[in-house]
Amino acid sequence: MNRIQLIVLAGAALMVAAATNAWSQTGSAPASVPGASAPATGGKADRALRRKVYAAIGTHKEIDAGNISVRAKGGAVTLYGTVTDAAQIGQVADIAKGVPGVSSVTNKLTVEKPLGGM
Amino acid sequence: MKTKLISVMALAIFATAAHAQSSVTLYGVVDTGLLYQSTSAATFLPHAPNLGHVYQMKDGGIYSSFWGLKGSEDIGGGYKVNFKLQGAFNTTNGKFGLSDTPGVTAIFNQFATIGVSGPFGTFDAGRQIVPMIYAMAETDVRSAQYFGSILTAWLGMNQAAGWPGTSTNAPIGALYDSNALVYNSPKFYGASLALEYAPGGVAGHFQGGTRESAVLKYSNYGLNLSAVYYNGHDTNPYPLTYPAAPAIPATGVDNNRLYYFGAMYTISGFSISASYALGKNPAHTNTADFEMISGGLGYQFNPRFKVTSGYYYLKDRNNSANHSGEFAIGAEYNLSQRTRAYAQVGYVDNKGTMNQTIVYGAPVAPGTSTTAAMIGIRHSF
Repeated sequence: MNRIQLIVLAGAALMVAAATNAWSQTGSAPASVPGASAPATGGKADRALRRKVYAAIGTHKEIDAGNISVRAKGGAVTLYGTVTDAAQIGQVADIAKGVPGVSSVTNKLTVEKPLGGM
Repeated sequence: MKTKLISVMALAIFATAAHAQSSVTLYGVVDTGLLYQSTSAATFLPHAPNLGHVYQMKDGGIYSSFWGLKGSEDIGGGYKVNFKLQGAFNTTNGKFGLSDTPGVTAIFNQFATIGVSGPFGTFDAGRQIVPMIYAMAETDVRSAQYFGSILTAWLGMNQAAGWPGTSTNAPIGALYDSNALVYNSPKFYGASLALEYAPGGVAGHFQGGTRESAVLKYSNYGLNLSAVYYNGHDTNPYPLTYPAAPAIPATGVDNNRLYYFGAMYTISGFSISASYALGKNPAHTNTADFEMISGGLGYQFNPRFKVTSGYYYLKDRNNSANHSGEFAIGAEYNLSQRTRAYAQVGYVDNKGTMNQTIVYGAPVAPGTSTTAAMIGIRHSF
């Protein structure tokens, strides 16, 4: 029983951590070490742009940005993953294009209807 | 004369009512294929005999075939009234899908809801697919599909807990609940909450037949997280041998509980998922106490073509001889926006009395290994 409660708590804590936007997925990347050479700066800018694109998508509550991969390289953004409606494919690309610093968007999104959905 | 006038007035009222209806959509999906399976069984009984290999036409390789009607009316102030009537059917014989009563089908067995949506979120009342299933699908690379996924693994847990498969009233968690009241919150920085309560309507027992569940989800930055709590009273009242053995009367026994935690991450063309779940009968843990662990990996080659795979492990915590491991891999090719072709292969190693299936609706022989392959097509309209 205690074990179950522990798992419940751990799960809830994980969600709160993720929801408070402290998602530091790139934390283990060696490129973030201070004093690293030129490519690291590029990587840092790319990651910042990636976060900005996600933040912009996140303001549209009907889109599940958890199913979308955003990669940024020198202003060029590539979108992978799935959306639940065909209209969202173009919508997500337009949101990404509207983010300052984005020069081009390559769109590889596809539609994935949820279980029981049309 | 008077009756005539009344009927004219009634007509006029209906006519204006029909006017205010903003839209009704008729929609559906037809999904059908060919299945080969190396073992089969007639029932989910723990010692059901192996009837041998089978080659058959099969409905629902991705999800069930279904049709439905839905509509919504804007009532102003950002609020909408929504309805949805949706039922599964079997493409191989045209029959409707199962209801919560053994052997009885229902025309709208998936959704029969009316609800309101607005700035507060959405609220739907009636029979419906419950939030826990979406939470599981969103943290499974195989998306809780009908062939080898978290759905068939979860059903395997139910079969081991005594679910005969003849109704949708399951002993651990639920896919559909009748009488359900479901609230879905809007997203808050990617996080959302879903709450369900289903009054049982059992005379003399307030807790009789009730269901309650809570789902916490997060979806942003390529990451989906899900946490599920589900609890039910008097679930699965029908024994494996029903109707020869009678149904157990509802008295408010707390006999269905599921905890589920899952995560899925999407990066470039890759998707990775993992989950852990505990399902049991809280009133009699010695009769049902199971663990479910999953892992998934998928790759999207291009917008038309993707491959997904998953591994699903079930363990009986009351009897270590009962466990089951399943691996499934599938390729999906979008022929168009609305039509998808697929090919999938699965292998399950059932030990003891376990009978985790590879594809929904095709029982395998318990306690032995089974291989299945399916090709099919899914078209939405």
